[in-house]
Amino acid sequence: MTRSTRVLWLTVPSLAWFAVFSIGPLAAMFVIATLRWKGLLYEPTYIGLENVTKVFADPTFHAAVRNSLIQVAVAIPVMIPLAFMLGYHLNTKPRGYRILSVLYFSPGLISISMTGMIFYGVLSPNGGVNGLLRGLGLDSLATAWLADPATALPSLIAIDLWRGVGWTAVLFAARLASMPGEVIEAAQIDGAGRFRTMWQVAYPMVKDYVRTLTMLQFLWTLFTSAALILLLTQGGPGTSSTTLSYLVYAKAFSMRDLGYSQVVGVVLLLLGIGGMALIRALLRERTR
Amino acid sequence: MRKHPLATVLSWLYALILAAPLYYLAVSALKTNIEIFTRPFALPAAWLWDNFRTAWETARLGQALLNSVLISLVAIVLTLALAVPAAYALARTDNRAARVITGTFSAGFLIPPFAALIPTVVLAIEMGLFGTREFQMLFLPASALPLSVLLLTQFMRTVPAALVESAALDGAGHWRLLTRVFVPIAMPGVVSVTILQLLTFWNEYLFALTITGTAPDVRTVQVALPALVSDATNLGVLAAGTVLTVLPVYVAYSLMNRRMQEALTAGAVKG
Repeated sequence: MTRSTRVLWLTVPSLAWFAVFSIGPLAAMFVIATLRWKGLLYEPTYIGLENVTKVFADPTFHAAVRNSLIQVAVAIPVMIPLAFMLGYHLNTKPRGYRILSVLYFSPGLISISMTGMIFYGVLSPNGGVNGLLRGLGLDSLATAWLADPATALPSLIAIDLWRGVGWTAVLFAARLASMPGEVIEAAQIDGAGRFRTMWQVAYPMVKDYVRTLTMLQFLWTLFTSAALILLLTQGGPGTSSTTLSYLVYAKAFSMRDLGYSQVVGVVLLLLGIGGMALIRALLRERTR
Repeated sequence: MRKHPLATVLSWLYALILAAPLYYLAVSALKTNIEIFTRPFALPAAWLWDNFRTAWETARLGQALLNSVLISLVAIVLTLALAVPAAYALARTDNRAARVITGTFSAGFLIPPFAALIPTVVLAIEMGLFGTREFQMLFLPASALPLSVLLLTQFMRTVPAALVESAALDGAGHWRLLTRVFVPIAMPGVVSVTILQLLTFWNEYLFALTITGTAPDVRTVQVALPALVSDATNLGVLAAGTVLTVLPVYVAYSLMNRRMQEALTAGAVKG
């Protein structure tokens, strides 16, 4: 007993590391949110909740909340069911499934900055998408996708889906493959249709995993959009593609208001936790 | 097996949507801007291999690749050095303290590192490591620890208790148990964690951009490449640079795609 407790000392280095580089900064966020701090080279002063009032009165913040909500409300409900169905299909090992799974897998290998560079070319005014539209005689639909306020945010969401769906499908396929196959086969022999087998037999078996992946994709979409936006639209035109995640970045580095940035950071964190709780509740009720 | 035309069509349609930008990237890498604009999906009329040299030299990709390799390697060694002993301890203990520690890492796994980007920049400045590769080497392991510890613990739990007891009777201490029994048995886990985290470190962008920075002698390849974007971007050169940067990952993938797929799916399975 003493022996087995003492061995836990071996976790101390990793806990210390995690505390210094992860928990520390996370906690510091709440402190910085109460400071007036004009850029990293200046001295901060304590101003309490003044930043909060400022942020909540700012139209840019309202736009960012709206855009972030649109982003997750569109991306996640499209991504997860589509990925589940594709994953189920992959798991039935259709013809050419190897090629399919390599293709589906590949966005998972490409970093966010490379994804940004690929779509910088694809979506540029003379890029691939417009070239395709002109080739199809649909010139009128061609636009400067990233510079048009009506299409900037939808383009970013489309990129989220481009990389997220296939990758998530591969994960679902791997999970389904680890389940006993007889149940699904039995259902099919009983004459249950494909759609019914998928949702009424396969889905309940991996329900917990669906919930986990939904939460992860939600968090990733909500938190990490800053990088892609920085590379492609800088939140514009105007504030049309500014999300909360990008606002955290932009306020700190280009607009030099660290207090503001970190208030938004706290909001983002709370939204993340709230959203997770919501997903948990939603995906639990439905199948019980 | 019955055929499912709709599923087949949809799955290939999506595959096409995935492949099209990659194809566009590959052919653009060998073209001039004018040809990219006028014949976007055609094969290049004249294969412009020069784009690759221009990209390599303009973005100083050689140095950038070296920086990325250096950061990733040091970070992975540090990650394993921290995570393996911790996982060993957690696999061998089942009490409240152990559960609290596991719980801490589970919660940490959920929070994307981005959440604390700005305070981390402040930390780098305080430590006098702003604008250096060293900070990334120290920081990346911390962000990788939760998942690494949790995965390795799972693998180490599979070590049979009888084996541990007989080794302990032979007088084996923790060090010998760890290196002779636990690590060999958990080797697939160690490999998975290594692949998964190497890929994460290699692909990391925002922290590398804001902390290590854009100075050509320290910047990573992920930061170097976007430097090719300007008001008059040469899209062919940009595409060539992107191909060069993505290529090492694809080569690694083609060499060990089963292993890699296992590692990456394992990473997301642990919730």
